Amino acid sequence: MTAIDYLQFVLAPQVVNGLALGVAVVLVALGLTIIFGMLDVINMSHGEFYAIGAYAALALGAAGIGFWFLLVLVPVLMVPLGMAAERLLIRPVFDTKDRHVTTLLVTFGLGLIVEDVLKIIFGANTQRPPTPIPGATEILGIILPNYRLFLILVGAAIVLAVAYVVYKTRLGAMVRAAAFDRNMAASLGVPVSLVYAGTFAFGVGLAGLAGVLLAPIYSVFPTMGRDFILLAFTVVIVGGMGSIWGAVVAGLLLTQVQALASLVISPVWTDPIVFGTMVAFLVFRPQGLFGRLGHA
Amino acid sequence: MASAIIKTLFGGLLAATALSGGALAQSGPIKIGVVTPLSGTYTPIGQQVRWGLELAAKELNAAGGIAGRQVSLVFEDEEANPAVAVQKAEKLFQVEKVDFLTGTVNSGSTLAVAQLAERNGKLAATTVSFADSITTDKCSPNMFRVNARAEQQSVALAAWLAKEKPKAKIYYLGPDYEMGRSTVAAFKSSAEKSGAQTGGEVFAPLDSKDYTQYFGQIRATRPQVIYTSVAGNDTVRLLTQLQDFGLLSGLSVVGASGTVTSQNITAIGAAAEGFATGVGYSPQIDSPENKTFVAAFREANKTDPDLYGADSYGLLFAYKAAVEKAGSTETDKVREALRGLTWQTPQGAKTIRAGDHQAMQPMYVVRVTKGKFDIIDNVSAENAIGPDACARF
Repeated sequence: MTAIDYLQFVLAPQVVNGLALGVAVVLVALGLTIIFGMLDVINMSHGEFYAIGAYAALALGAAGIGFWFLLVLVPVLMVPLGMAAERLLIRPVFDTKDRHVTTLLVTFGLGLIVEDVLKIIFGANTQRPPTPIPGATEILGIILPNYRLFLILVGAAIVLAVAYVVYKTRLGAMVRAAAFDRNMAASLGVPVSLVYAGTFAFGVGLAGLAGVLLAPIYSVFPTMGRDFILLAFTVVIVGGMGSIWGAVVAGLLLTQVQALASLVISPVWTDPIVFGTMVAFLVFRPQGLFGRLGHA
Repeated sequence: MASAIIKTLFGGLLAATALSGGALAQSGPIKIGVVTPLSGTYTPIGQQVRWGLELAAKELNAAGGIAGRQVSLVFEDEEANPAVAVQKAEKLFQVEKVDFLTGTVNSGSTLAVAQLAERNGKLAATTVSFADSITTDKCSPNMFRVNARAEQQSVALAAWLAKEKPKAKIYYLGPDYEMGRSTVAAFKSSAEKSGAQTGGEVFAPLDSKDYTQYFGQIRATRPQVIYTSVAGNDTVRLLTQLQDFGLLSGLSVVGASGTVTSQNITAIGAAAEGFATGVGYSPQIDSPENKTFVAAFREANKTDPDLYGADSYGLLFAYKAAVEKAGSTETDKVREALRGLTWQTPQGAKTIRAGDHQAMQPMYVVRVTKGKFDIIDNVSAENAIGPDACARF
């Protein structure tokens, strides 16, 4: 193979495809990092909320609701679900001494239950909604499906919107204040418990949105939540727990590492390298790339 | 009584409560253990295995059972993971005292369970695993295979491909474990014998989300044919992603018989069009026995049987014939009876070759047209089986 061929057919597409996967991972990790950084809750059921979003898109899409409307409708429908989960499962164990362990176990159990409920309702077989934007574009011999192009753009827009809300609005300031010092925020009139429930629901809504966006590419089946959860946690840890920009940078970097490792070394080595990076961060830089939301 | 077994699957915890009938050897129900994936990427396959076995058990029991004893099935979740399969099989042998074991899907699980069966002095059979090694270099006196192995599938498929696209350049993509490497090796050797060239090969981890990372290498070799042996959800992703990237035009995709099945064909949609494979079973087989079987299966499970359902269904009839011929469920006697046994299945007569415990059966080439498999070619049992390469017994 000539060098030009290698660049055009192998290396360049690899980087671009890595970028599309990176955006997908960032979308899943975004809600996770907000819940983690804000509430100090390890949400192991985040992947299953992503699956619920995908199934909701599938069922509502089959009922004739258009894809564009689903992008708004599904996250909105997820909010009461997130509120309920926070109220019934997170809050009772929130003030225990080892919050990390209890929330991890509670949400892990919730994830297993959701997985099986999905299997009971929708069956075990894989399903797939139609690709909303068909076709592919060829740029300099690099083929990129239009839907993945759209995913990269819409993913960037979602990240910017979320970052704007968290860092630039009064609402975001209240959320960050509640994360930084719960008692002080409460004494200043911030409705802390509502903020907490709302934040959790917001994270869950983002997971649902990721489900709607990724279902056409990765298809829909009951255990799909397991696909992204480890990678998303890795992104959150490497990026800095609760840091939105950290999640973006880490998500894009780690997927590039994956794509190139798969090419240069072997596909089998991608996971060990990615998780090795996570371990290295935990040992040498536990605060991650960007540190914590509400603590920065 | 199979109906008396209540099986609750909850988050991978399987609680199987069987009627405790104080099962003495040679009386009471015959217990058959089933270790099959009820969760994870191979759930749809496990589902077919379960449906096939349950239908066969129901029919056997309604007709008086095996040697006058009822059959009861005891299920455990394999999770398509050899380590788990070994634990669960051990439990079924030691605690449940099953007479016979089947269900393993992952070829690694089947190989591990074969060793376990030897240690426990029990017999086991797979109705799903493709890896040739199970009945060649890693054959076991206690393991039987009633489904077609990779070599039988690839002989049929390669013969058809040589007619369809002579001297094609083929790129191979398999899942990175025993089955994937074995199916790729088997098809590669069959295809190269019939004049095909090899463009390249890559092995992707099981349960890969994104196959696009391999597309560059595939495009760079400019193949005319892609052979793949991924299965379950992995196929949905691979084929739909190939389609999204516009790589399916001008390419023929061929594969293992588990790659596209009734379980995932709907999800794959138009991306499955033209996919061809060599297989030992198709619901399309035009015989009265198969029509009856398909109708009964459809009535029980609201879906067509695929090769896994049909092969699993057929297994219990082989076991019945062997136990009745042996006059007992003792390992040594049943093993002798299974060797060389010819019995009737929905796909016609099968014969277990005594030398390597591999079932011989007519093979078909099927191709997806408008979302359905059509039979387009066939190869006789004798021409597809290949030499006996088992040296352990």
